[in-house]
Amino acid sequence: MRYLARRLAHAALLLIGVSIFSFALLQLAPGDYFSQLALNPQISAHTVAGLRAEYGLDQPLVVRYAAWLRAILEGDFGVSLAYNSAVGPLLALRARNTILLTGTAMLLSWLLALPLGIWSAARRGTWGDRLGGFFISTLLTIPDLVLFLLLLLLAVRSGWFPTGSMVSGNFDELTTWNKVRDVLAHLILPAFGLALAALPPLVRHVRSAMMEALDAPFIRAARAHGIRERRVLLRYALPVAANPLISLFGFSIAGMLSASLLVEVILSWPGIGPLLVESILAKDVYVVIGTVMLSAVFLITGNLIADLMLFASDPRVRIE
Amino acid sequence: MLSHRRKLECAACLLAAVYVVVLTAGFFAPYSFATQNREAAFEPPTAIHFRDAQGNLYAHPFVYAADGRSEANARYPIHFFVRGAEYRLAGFRSQLHLFGVEAPGEVHLMGTDGYGRDQFSRFLYGGQISLLAGLLATLLSLSIAVVLGGFAGFYGGGIDELLMRGGELFLALPWLYLLFAVRAALPLHISQAQVFLLLVSVMGLIGWARPARLIRGVVLSAKQRNFVIAARGFGASDFYLLRRHVLPQAYGVILTQMTLLIPQYVLAEVTLSFLGLGVGEPMASWGTLLASLQQYYVLSSYWWMFLPALLLIPLFLVFYAAADALQEIQKSVPL
Amino acid sequence: MLPVEALLRARGLSKQYVQRRAFSRTKYTVTAFEGVNLDLFRGETLALVGESGAGKSSLARCLALLDPPTGGNIELHGQELRRFDSSTLKPFRQNIQLIFQDPASALNPRLTACEIIAEPLVVQRIGSKIEQRERALHLMQQVGLDSSQAQKRPFEFSGGQRQRIAVARALAPNPSILVLDEALSNLDARNQDLLLRLLGDLQGAHALAYVFVAHDLSLVSRFADRIAVMYQGKIVELSETRELFSAPAHAYTQELLSGGQSVEKILLARSA
Repeated sequence: MRYLARRLAHAALLLIGVSIFSFALLQLAPGDYFSQLALNPQISAHTVAGLRAEYGLDQPLVVRYAAWLRAILEGDFGVSLAYNSAVGPLLALRARNTILLTGTAMLLSWLLALPLGIWSAARRGTWGDRLGGFFISTLLTIPDLVLFLLLLLLAVRSGWFPTGSMVSGNFDELTTWNKVRDVLAHLILPAFGLALAALPPLVRHVRSAMMEALDAPFIRAARAHGIRERRVLLRYALPVAANPLISLFGFSIAGMLSASLLVEVILSWPGIGPLLVESILAKDVYVVIGTVMLSAVFLITGNLIADLMLFASDPRVRIE
Repeated sequence: MLSHRRKLECAACLLAAVYVVVLTAGFFAPYSFATQNREAAFEPPTAIHFRDAQGNLYAHPFVYAADGRSEANARYPIHFFVRGAEYRLAGFRSQLHLFGVEAPGEVHLMGTDGYGRDQFSRFLYGGQISLLAGLLATLLSLSIAVVLGGFAGFYGGGIDELLMRGGELFLALPWLYLLFAVRAALPLHISQAQVFLLLVSVMGLIGWARPARLIRGVVLSAKQRNFVIAARGFGASDFYLLRRHVLPQAYGVILTQMTLLIPQYVLAEVTLSFLGLGVGEPMASWGTLLASLQQYYVLSSYWWMFLPALLLIPLFLVFYAAADALQEIQKSVPL
Repeated sequence: MLPVEALLRARGLSKQYVQRRAFSRTKYTVTAFEGVNLDLFRGETLALVGESGAGKSSLARCLALLDPPTGGNIELHGQELRRFDSSTLKPFRQNIQLIFQDPASALNPRLTACEIIAEPLVVQRIGSKIEQRERALHLMQQVGLDSSQAQKRPFEFSGGQRQRIAVARALAPNPSILVLDEALSNLDARNQDLLLRLLGDLQGAHALAYVFVAHDLSLVSRFADRIAVMYQGKIVELSETRELFSAPAHAYTQELLSGGQSVEKILLARSA
């Protein structure tokens, strides 16, 4: 249990660090939402100063950070100046959408990567393996941005996939079943794109982890005992290869989140990515901090989950 | 191993060639990046002919003028080393272009955009911003990484702990979010040169953590080696040890990181400019070239607007091939 | 043979390492050696013999000023070393040089033989570039290497040749003392003989003093003037070679001598 406690403490420390970092960063910004208001001749300087005071922007840095941190712990993420609403609910809604998208994509990419990697490791050196390797290398060299633009092109030209937003205009009138189908229809393209973007490193690592496991002496022994190849692969080699793959799962979350920002913006999925871009352009301080913090929370949580899985799967970690 | 070296050499030559062409864009581009021709908006790539409608063959390639702006079927041969729009190259003014056609004929290898600007020229000029930003940001990141990673690994103790924990902070955020967060802290409306410098420093400053960790690892093992201890034994200073014995061990890692970071930073610049957070119009960057694709009608109607995006793929292929070859070479050479 | 002043004098020298168990506050100390008194005189060979883990290598590194001791003091050429920071030590460093067991790891694989040998001169800023190079070439000849090989890199030399390069480098700053930490252990019998002969010649020519660390008593008995026997971090016996062999005082020394004279054999016999 010491292992878990240590990982938790580490995650908490990281979060505090990230919060100080992102808060400090935004205080460096020259001009805030109100400095643009101040340029508006119809609004008096007095009004702007009053608004600043109301939102606490005239307080010293440390005070603002402390107040902000206390508020966050109470679930209050501040106020969006552009949306004129509380940041918390806004973030919650967007976060749900991002989790839906990245979760689906994560699942999809592993469902593709595992069989592909295992298959090519089992058939290493064959034409199938080489073809797969070529496909994966090609995919790797396509920048995420270009890949997502190509998917958008596909959607626009073919008309097979609904584009823009995550639901159709008449969403509210649909039955529950049709609502689910509607969301799924909108989800499929961005999730598939994200999964494709994440695929190359996953397949490569699955393949090399499996090859390493298959080279182990006990696998040769198992084969010599006449155990069927399928069983050797899935029951003997895969559990050995699982450890590095679980670590990889933790690492892959960061890349997934970055790619998700892009796919959300390009394919108009209302997640935290577009929110971040909008709020930067609008100098909407609390939304920017909230979004950045949220991405850190996702990443750190994901890594914690990976740690937990490692804890569950590897007896060596438990003993320590 | 020889073949990896050969692969690396080829990739390095190609990349050098790309950088040279892009940095001397004024010469290779037939037009300026800003010259507009509203009448020629969204023209597809100009067809280059060797044979006219009557079936006559010509030794010199030529283009036909676009309909309606001159007599139909007038041929305009493509000339090499022609005088054209003036540009500046390393402070010198010049009018010499690699190729061009006489007005009113026009040659657009990659078509024109919504303002009738030559996409090919804009792609070359855009490369100046994107590729240079990638290179400079990489150099910045690696300099920081060498200094911090070198110090942390060499001295260990409190400095090491502090730097590595600080580095974890940078790794705790998805890098695109981190990049955006830092960008958010900076002013939106500033001059193009300032934007460029800001982009370079922002990208360079946030990317130091991963290479710094790798360099720290190399330094950590290198400083235990006997030849380092021996050099200390005849009175070498820490600076000498780092410069002469320890950091050279990290050359391989630094080079590999360079080939991985440059494309990443080029992409970062492209992404920021694509989203309107980088350099803006009328300057060309690969990001601003792609930005017009966010409009559905451009995406669906004008396929050549996609060419800049597609051209990025072979470029990245070369970068990754170089990184791959470097990694293989390092694996085969025991330190 | 009664020299007046010791080149190197150690009094009550000890070294303890403080270690912390991973993820735990509890510290514990490991004693490498303690209470070591040694005198080394010009032109003599002092052998330091003991089994693995007896603390000989730690002592050798400490004497070569590579690791600061945690207690006691060292005098070099009659001057006491008060502090062990790099600026205090720098003027003393050229007097005492260490030769490592494994020559492969002691030479930077990226440098040429000439660069490696000239390095102490470069670091200590002795002579011009040309003089440094000439001295390096001269040293190569002295240790029996052809100066035409000056531009080769370590991996192009054999193990014996590498150890010669290491010796040449150690000689470059004109030291009065060489500490050889198992310097022969990685070599085959023929190369051991060649290197021993070379070391003997050099000792004659430059009046060098050697501290010769070894685990093999029979090997050092061939050339050592005096032998110090180390056991569990302490010097349990220090006497002239002949005396040690004829009248071993300490029980452990007796054991060493009786057990076929090789520590390894004794260890084997013990564990059996």
